[in-house]
Amino acid sequence: MTPILQAKFEEILKGNLKYVSSNLALNMLISRLQRKAIADPRNMAAYIRELDEFVTRYAAVMGEEFDKIAAL
Amino acid sequence: MLVSLDTATSLIQEGKTLHIAADDSLLAKLPAGKWIGGTTPYFIAESGGILTKDKLFINEIDFAEETRVAVYGKYNIFQIVEECYDNGLTMLILPFGSAVAAKYAKGAPDVEELLMHPTVGWVSGLDLNTGGEAKVYDGTTGKSYTDKAVIMYIKLPKNKTAMINIVNIFGDDKTDPTIAFPENALDVSQCRVNGQEVNFAEYIQKKHIDTQMPLVADYNGVYINTSIKAVENGRVGLYAPVFKGIEYRFATHVANYAEEFKNKIGAAGAGTPVFSCNCILNYLYGHLEGKKTPPYVGPVTFGEVAYQLLNQTLVYCEII
Repeated sequence: MTPILQAKFEEILKGNLKYVSSNLALNMLISRLQRKAIADPRNMAAYIRELDEFVTRYAAVMGEEFDKIAAL
Repeated sequence: MLVSLDTATSLIQEGKTLHIAADDSLLAKLPAGKWIGGTTPYFIAESGGILTKDKLFINEIDFAEETRVAVYGKYNIFQIVEECYDNGLTMLILPFGSAVAAKYAKGAPDVEELLMHPTVGWVSGLDLNTGGEAKVYDGTTGKSYTDKAVIMYIKLPKNKTAMINIVNIFGDDKTDPTIAFPENALDVSQCRVNGQEVNFAEYIQKKHIDTQMPLVADYNGVYINTSIKAVENGRVGLYAPVFKGIEYRFATHVANYAEEFKNKIGAAGAGTPVFSCNCILNYLYGHLEGKKTPPYVGPVTFGEVAYQLLNQTLVYCEII
């Protein structure tokens, strides 16, 4: 994950940015990690890693979603 | 597609890999082979919604590099995240009212690895007019189960990915009261409405809430439904669990169920789903008998699985 995407994802998990994906699993994951981030914000690095693992795994189908997130 | 018993038998004998939904009387007559199945007499066929005990709905799994079938109970159902193919699709069928279905429903959202592995499926059911038992079938042995889940692990070619999505006609009004529950539960008494503790059953009755409308929760822009099963004796039974820490609202009223479905299906824009299923409550409340929902055809189910258990939702899977 690029530093820009990482920064954007952190803001999404903190609720400062809103991004709704066309990927159901990614939306479910963001929702779960946002709840975790509220409950225990100290583990933000772990939540970002989990998101990174997901988007890396599904990079082929994420396509232009990366660009949209980077542009937030 | 809906086929006759003879056609389904021939396809199995030809060695085709199949997902099959049908009435128990038909599934019990099928030969052993590479298939899994579940009971339901309700379908959305190409010709529209239909209740039939004379036909079987089949999906040919012709996009797989290889497949494996497994049967799990409530103690090991979440082995699916360990035993699935690295690049694959996990298709599961759970019997309605079983302990394994309840375990999956309550536990799936907390299984961290689950979202990494595309998992789609449904809850098998029965004819609501005549009753019976919800069953699943492991076609490789021909055995049926009322208390176990049957799973088909599907390995995909390296350049293919399974994408699971939903069509949900329900949404919420953010000015409506929020409802929160103290624990993950399929049967609840107390809840907090806008932070104030109340009896959920009394709240529903006092507010004259239409219980054909589900509770909805916003999962990052995707609405996930929880349908009301019964309101009685101060308790509310649910078809899927509510979860602690999730904020719910009752769905806003849908004036024309069938029309709303048509609109949402058009907006979803799916190409050629390899599997789809739709909820029995949508079939009943939406009067979908005889109505078409192209390109989505498949069993009408007593719960839908898109990673976790859903209600009143159309679930579909595409291979892209």
